[in-house]
Amino acid sequence: MATDTMIQIEDLKKIFYTDEIETHALSGVHLNINRGEYVAMSGPSGCGKSTLLSIIGLLDTPTGGSYTLNGKAVANLNFADRSRIRNQEIGFIFQSFNLIGDLTVAENVELPLTYRAGMPATERKKRVQESLERVNMAHRMRHYPAQLSGGQQQRVAVARALAGSPSILLADEPTGNLDSKNGEAVMKLLQELHAEGATICMVTHDPRFAAHAERQVHLFDGKVVAEGELNRLLAEVEG
Amino acid sequence: MNGLMQDVTYALRQLRKAPGFTLTAVLTLALGIGANAAIFTLVHAVLLQNLPVSDPKSLVRLGDKDDCCVMGGRPENEGYSLFAYDLYKHLRDSAPEFEQLAAMQAGVSQGALTARRGASNSLSKASSGEFVSGNYFQTFGLQSYAGRLLLPSDDVAGAPMAAVLSYRAWQRDYAMDPSVVGSIFELNTHPVTVVGITPPSFYGDRMTDTPPDFYLPVTMEPILDPGALLKRPEASWLYVLGRVKPGTQIGPLQEKMSGLLRDWLIPQKVYQNADGKKALPKSHIVLTPGGVGIANMQAEYRSGLELLMGISGLVLLIACANIANLVLVRGMARRAETSIRMALGAARKRIIRQMLTESLVLACLGGVAGLAVSYAGTRMLLALAFPDSPGLPIHASPSLPMLGFAFGLSLLTGLIFGIAPAWITSHSEPAESLRGANRSTRDSASLLQRSLVVTQAALSLVLLVGAGLLTRSLNKLEHQNFGLQTENRVVIHISPDNAGYKPDQLQALYGEIEDRFRALPGVEGVGLSLYTPLEGDNWGEGVTIQGRPEPGQNDHVGASWDRVTPDFFQVIGQRILRGRGITDQDTGTSPIVAVVNETFVKKFFPNGEDPIGAHFGLDGVKSAGEIEIVGVVSDVKYVNPREAVQAMYFRPFLQHAPLSDNADVRSLFAGAIMLQMRGPSEGLEAQVRRTLANINPNLTVVNFNTFGGQIEGQFTQEKLIARLTLMFGMLALVLASVGLYGVTAYTVARRTPEIGIRMALGAGRGNVVSMVLREAMLQAGVGLAIGLPVALLCVRFLKTQLYGTGGQDPVVFAGAIVVLVVSACVAGLIPARRAASTDPVKALRTE
Ligand SMILES: Nc1ncnc2c1ncn2[C@@H]1O[C@H](COP(=O)(O)OP(=O)(O)O)[C@@H](O)[C@H]1O
Ligand SMILES: [Mg+2]
Repeated sequence: MATDTMIQIEDLKKIFYTDEIETHALSGVHLNINRGEYVAMSGPSGCGKSTLLSIIGLLDTPTGGSYTLNGKAVANLNFADRSRIRNQEIGFIFQSFNLIGDLTVAENVELPLTYRAGMPATERKKRVQESLERVNMAHRMRHYPAQLSGGQQQRVAVARALAGSPSILLADEPTGNLDSKNGEAVMKLLQELHAEGATICMVTHDPRFAAHAERQVHLFDGKVVAEGELNRLLAEVEG
Repeated sequence: MNGLMQDVTYALRQLRKAPGFTLTAVLTLALGIGANAAIFTLVHAVLLQNLPVSDPKSLVRLGDKDDCCVMGGRPENEGYSLFAYDLYKHLRDSAPEFEQLAAMQAGVSQGALTARRGASNSLSKASSGEFVSGNYFQTFGLQSYAGRLLLPSDDVAGAPMAAVLSYRAWQRDYAMDPSVVGSIFELNTHPVTVVGITPPSFYGDRMTDTPPDFYLPVTMEPILDPGALLKRPEASWLYVLGRVKPGTQIGPLQEKMSGLLRDWLIPQKVYQNADGKKALPKSHIVLTPGGVGIANMQAEYRSGLELLMGISGLVLLIACANIANLVLVRGMARRAETSIRMALGAARKRIIRQMLTESLVLACLGGVAGLAVSYAGTRMLLALAFPDSPGLPIHASPSLPMLGFAFGLSLLTGLIFGIAPAWITSHSEPAESLRGANRSTRDSASLLQRSLVVTQAALSLVLLVGAGLLTRSLNKLEHQNFGLQTENRVVIHISPDNAGYKPDQLQALYGEIEDRFRALPGVEGVGLSLYTPLEGDNWGEGVTIQGRPEPGQNDHVGASWDRVTPDFFQVIGQRILRGRGITDQDTGTSPIVAVVNETFVKKFFPNGEDPIGAHFGLDGVKSAGEIEIVGVVSDVKYVNPREAVQAMYFRPFLQHAPLSDNADVRSLFAGAIMLQMRGPSEGLEAQVRRTLANINPNLTVVNFNTFGGQIEGQFTQEKLIARLTLMFGMLALVLASVGLYGVTAYTVARRTPEIGIRMALGAGRGNVVSMVLREAMLQAGVGLAIGLPVALLCVRFLKTQLYGTGGQDPVVFAGAIVVLVVSACVAGLIPARRAASTDPVKALRTE
């Protein structure tokens, strides 16, 4: 397995300004993710996990610090460049699946490919077929999301994230809206994808699922902390 | 009843809670209902309003056409609307079914009467008078305001000369001086006693912007008018209107009147030849309701007003679509509330009723606001429709029928825009709100919204096409080549016959007018004519070319003609193409000559014969050698600017054709002076009045206008309709654009999470803009696809109003499409840009 660095984040800061209140969501995060790595991120609610994921996924820009993706500084790109890189390098999996209700399963999966200039329709169809087969949902191609169970919807969402062959899959609490049986199925799917070589960064607060990953990163109050440190801090808060 | 009050109160409370929505809806409705009420005011005043006389419903008119003003020969299709005095008396005396049958002069025009109050030294005034039968006021059942009205005893040859002054003229010209009643006026230089004043509300027997100032007994006509029509049975010049006895059957009466007509026609000269004998059995009179009086203006404006009614109705429909959309969005927003109410057991019917009540209350609020719009709109309409017509009996103030119309329209409007949203909201699934973030946007509500926008786009296209066609037609009409010069030309209408001139004094008078006007500063040329191009007058005769057979009834030998002084052609810019024009050597004693226009040559010399030197006459073969053609002039639009130039000939003043009847004498009196100025002429009018008064104090200015202004006056109705249609078209476009904008913005707001997802998947701003815009344009496009064939169909209703452009004018259609597409783009682009600026992180958070 390759061990080259895909994501390199240094001293990343994110401050939200709302009604004169500054929220320091991230205050100096250092994080490296290697190609082919499976990272689980955990921490208490509001510690900045989703914010960090948004920045990694180029949905948002940091207030300070640097972020290098595949050797390219991407912290301060404009909207158009971020959209393009997001489309090619990032695959998102959300807690609430976020499939588009008006589109069929196949159309949902095809969606990121339609934003990729110059990909012929036949190529798109092929990839849709492959990704849906990969998650075992090819038989539901022409269904609408509302006609699927939560677990099925999330598998379609995974297929959609896979369709564009991204460098990394970002999953924000992908099992949060699922019962444990369906949650485990999705986790198994991610594990298999990792085994096939995918780089994954997943947010979860379920220690059982975090254990699926090769490496665990703990966030507390906008900072990455060691596991022991986290437990101490948590005990402090509770005590 | 109690439930209704409760519903209304609840509706008012709901509306007060949403001031933005209420204001938008009320304003939109005010525009829509106000525009319709304004047009209705005009329709009511012009088309529906009865004369202010007693029991107008029992008035019946003989005939249904305008046919003004003096007709010789047989009427078109043998239907009589205009009658000779002798024929009128015959009908009156043989039809006891009529309580009264009155006759009134058809041709009432400003300046036909020159009036001066005898006692004072005041200047003469150009006035108008209408000759009426002695029972005229009795027929209408009117009482005088002061003094007395005319009586049959005034209408007897040899009776003391009496006249009734209109209240309006009394107020305007004589400051309501009570001593006017009983005083002696000089009318066309003859002493006449004013015996009374008409009631204030009476504006005459027809709607016109120049109601008569004086009502005169018809037997005085030969004294006041040198043309004397009274004793000529071949001249039809009177309208006839009567009051039938209660219970009279109109059908049989019509038969009887037609029979009486034919009895009288048998011995008449026109019915002696073969054509006439054939026409006699078909001659008839149509009886029409006379409550509105002589309905000439009604006939002239009917189609235009009906068109405007249709157009303003369409605008209201578009406004309804907008409000339906707003109501629907509100209904969607209140779905939760509706679900709760239904869960609590409210019947669907009850919810529909509540929502409908709200719509109706809203519509009535809009209607009330619409009254203000309507008042302002009517004033503007009147100024547009009848510029410089203070005499017209049409007012902007709201009438009872108009209020009723506005109220009825408001209720109808409320139903139209309220029903569909009420239905849809009441059918919302209570479980719907539980279904989560990614519910489909393609529910019945959004389908209705889109259909409404599509309808609006289609209707706007129809209106835009109509506006485009009418505007283009008006433009072509106004900027056509009339064949003449109008710049710095001034037309002064005069009436030397009213001033007491006799035919043998005219040569000297014309000479003096020409000399004196030429001496005025700034005057470059002076021409006189019987009438001028495009003033609405037309004299016609049948022409017989020498050497051709006697023309039959069906040969088209008609030509228009005018009398002009030598300089007149030059002054109006009419070019002499061959031979010569009219010269000072063409006098009463020299050979009788005429100059003809190009169309005359084409019509009467179609095989290239030389017209110069040819002769023609006006009374058949026996007269054919009378007039010699000495020149050809260029074609000029004289009569109807909408039609091709007519064949015309021009004769010098003072050359009296010996074989023609005495209508020829009337034509010797010049009706107009045309001045060619070196530049714009300030203060010219006062100078003109003084110059004329210096020649003769009775020589008054009947009308003063620039030549351009006179021609513009021919297009008042076209302008009204084109401008209003354009205004309504723009209003429709704005409403439709706002509608499209609203629906698109609403959709974007609903789809914000979806847009966030798409962005997370790599959609750029361009992708989002084009996605939103594509949807907006799709609705506009479907609207276009529906609107185009509808517009093509509707164009048929416009055909009669168009000039110089076919209904399928590609420029207009293309223009309308482009305007609509651009508006849709703008309307779609604003929400599309807003959608593109969605922050994906926030959008995904709000799920
Ligand atoms: N758009 C925003 N505006 C203001 N504050 C925000 C915004 N997004 C996140 N935050 C704040 O930043 C902190 C981190 O949030 P988040 O990354 O969502 O935490 P979590 O670890 O639960 O995913 C929280 O305090 C949150 O309230
Ligand atoms: Mg989170």
